[in-house]
Amino acid sequence: MGSLLGDWPSYNPHNFSQLRPADPSAQPSKLTPVTYHPTHSRTLPPPNQVISTETRNILLRQFYQKPEEKLRPKRAASDNLTPAHGSKQLRGAFADGSN
Amino acid sequence: MFRSNNLAARVFERQILTPRPGASVNLVRHFYENLVPSCTIYDIDCPDHSFRKFTDDGQYLVSFSRNHQDLIVYRPTWLSFSCEGEDCDSHSLPQKAKRFDSFFTQLYCVSLASSNEFICKDFFLYMESHQFGLFATSTAQSHDAPTTEGAIDGVPSIERITFYLVRLEDGVILDEKAFCNDFVNLAQSMGVFLYEDLLCIMSLRYQTIHILQIRDSGNLVDVRNIGIFCREDDELFINSHAHCMGILDKSKLDDLSAHEVANDVQHHQVTQGTSLLSGIKQRLLSFIFRKTWNEEADPTLSCLEKDNDEIMLLFQRVQHLKKKFYFHFQDYVDLIMWKVQFLDRHHLLIKFGSVDGGVARSTDQQPAFFAVYNMETTEIVAFYQNSSEELYSLFEQFYDYFHANSRNSLHASFISSHSNNTHALDQLWCIKNKTNNISQFVKKMMTSLPCTCQSQSPSPYFDLSLFRYDEKLISATVRHRHSTEHPIKFISRRQPNILKFKIKPGCGLCFSMFGKPAFACASTPALDLGSAPMTTISYCFLMFRSAFWLIDTTILFFILNLWRYPGCYHQCFFSLPMELPVPSLLEPQKCDARYPNNLIRKACPFSWTIL
Repeated sequence: MGSLLGDWPSYNPHNFSQLRPADPSAQPSKLTPVTYHPTHSRTLPPPNQVISTETRNILLRQFYQKPEEKLRPKRAASDNLTPAHGSKQLRGAFADGSN
Repeated sequence: MFRSNNLAARVFERQILTPRPGASVNLVRHFYENLVPSCTIYDIDCPDHSFRKFTDDGQYLVSFSRNHQDLIVYRPTWLSFSCEGEDCDSHSLPQKAKRFDSFFTQLYCVSLASSNEFICKDFFLYMESHQFGLFATSTAQSHDAPTTEGAIDGVPSIERITFYLVRLEDGVILDEKAFCNDFVNLAQSMGVFLYEDLLCIMSLRYQTIHILQIRDSGNLVDVRNIGIFCREDDELFINSHAHCMGILDKSKLDDLSAHEVANDVQHHQVTQGTSLLSGIKQRLLSFIFRKTWNEEADPTLSCLEKDNDEIMLLFQRVQHLKKKFYFHFQDYVDLIMWKVQFLDRHHLLIKFGSVDGGVARSTDQQPAFFAVYNMETTEIVAFYQNSSEELYSLFEQFYDYFHANSRNSLHASFISSHSNNTHALDQLWCIKNKTNNISQFVKKMMTSLPCTCQSQSPSPYFDLSLFRYDEKLISATVRHRHSTEHPIKFISRRQPNILKFKIKPGCGLCFSMFGKPAFACASTPALDLGSAPMTTISYCFLMFRSAFWLIDTTILFFILNLWRYPGCYHQCFFSLPMELPVPSLLEPQKCDARYPNNLIRKACPFSWTIL
């Protein structure tokens, strides 16, 4: 397409639809850029998400995670497979406790 | 990575090229390949003190008087002189170069120890952010001290150990902390660890970890004591419930003490004044219990679970517990804390071992354990034996985090270790592959944990990616070594056959400083420094007097601009390693405004070593 920003994806399908190419001889209908936008919202972050640096350094994280890793297969055998994000919940519990 | 080995070309390159993100310090350290020690001065009369160490920022030289009672601090004020003429190289050094005062100015002499106390020569910790130094004095050690309440048998006792916090700028003693009838391992600062503004002191005799904070004003403030009690209010709680538990009944204690010798088991508990184990021990035992309980005793356990035979499962677990925990219960109870370090502001790494090995240096034969303790939640997070391969894999990958360098200390994060340097890692793997007994190898590596604070020199000359040297003769670890016959060679890492410089330690101290810069040639041929006489201190120092024999006019112009300000050229050059001031060739008159003296001084961590 002719325009610089025409074919970049955007969350709002109406963005960039008003762009007109600089070249006046071009026909508007052919060169209206198509805006790509997502058709689902699975990849949107949760509205209250805050991204911050982990306060614990990597060595301490290893010390905390090793026993959890050992516990996990044991629980899977007895609890009919914990869900995929089960381990993340455990870690969250730890973080809340020590922060 | 510089394209050329020539110093001036590197300076210009540095002016126009941006280093890779996060690698600017690494890039600047490459200048040390060009600036190497090149000269030694012999036969210098120096004061009869026992020189201890340069501080890592190069601001002070710490020394103690021969009678170990006074602290004398010098400020390194390096010799500077200029030379005009065609052939500066052949000029010999001026007469003032042979004087100690040309290099060092005495700032003050402060008496730290009184009559029967002596300053511990091996002990010195430096807090760079405030320029505070921590020193220790102690009285003589006595091995057969009477057993007092709470003290561990088998650990010697020192009548009085005092820690002094001194502001090195002017020698004012800001605060002191005394320990009476106690024992702290002062050799090479092993019993004390400084992390940012927190200090932890391991009292071996009373099995307590004292956590102190160094405030900005210079006060040493008690934060907490970990040992008998873990939380600050534990003591209050136990005392208020003592009447209920009937444990602190004094009359009962008197009866028991008579049977102390007969029954070893009760001994430890009784000497603590209660029949409870100490807080830290309780935390440790409960952690081991829970860990053992949750462990899979048997791979066949899973099929037992499928059969839903819960009683069988429970039986297996109890058997496992008996074998792994109760069988060793008394050994766990008898463990004492040996050494401690900070991993971050809330976590401690504590080494446990048996009473016999507490004070001895070589602890290879004794089993030892490591525990990670969270001071805030007072919980043990991890527990490993010293032969644990899991702990070794963490040691191999994350050794830099065991060193717990605070973010304030810039150059300490660049000490070469096997976690941040491929050459060091190669060396480690070489040793590992040669060994037959992996367990012995792991134990040997684990003896370096917990790390001793400030035990490694941050000098770029020890950077393994810049130089190759014989680690048996010299290394970054600060400790006294026997001097060798042969000079110690430092070979450039990136140009494998080029010898950069040699150092002959001789006897006593040899201070290495920056050497002659290489302008016209690729590298400076190293001068054999020869051997130093037995009774003197040898110096190698910078000779920045080679300005006028340069051929290249642009470089000459560059140097001429520096020469406008003869007073500050020296400081300019000293700031070379970290913050190279590149004078603009178009506007020479703005040179001094860009590099005010105090800024240069602060930006420059010197690279001194006491060999």
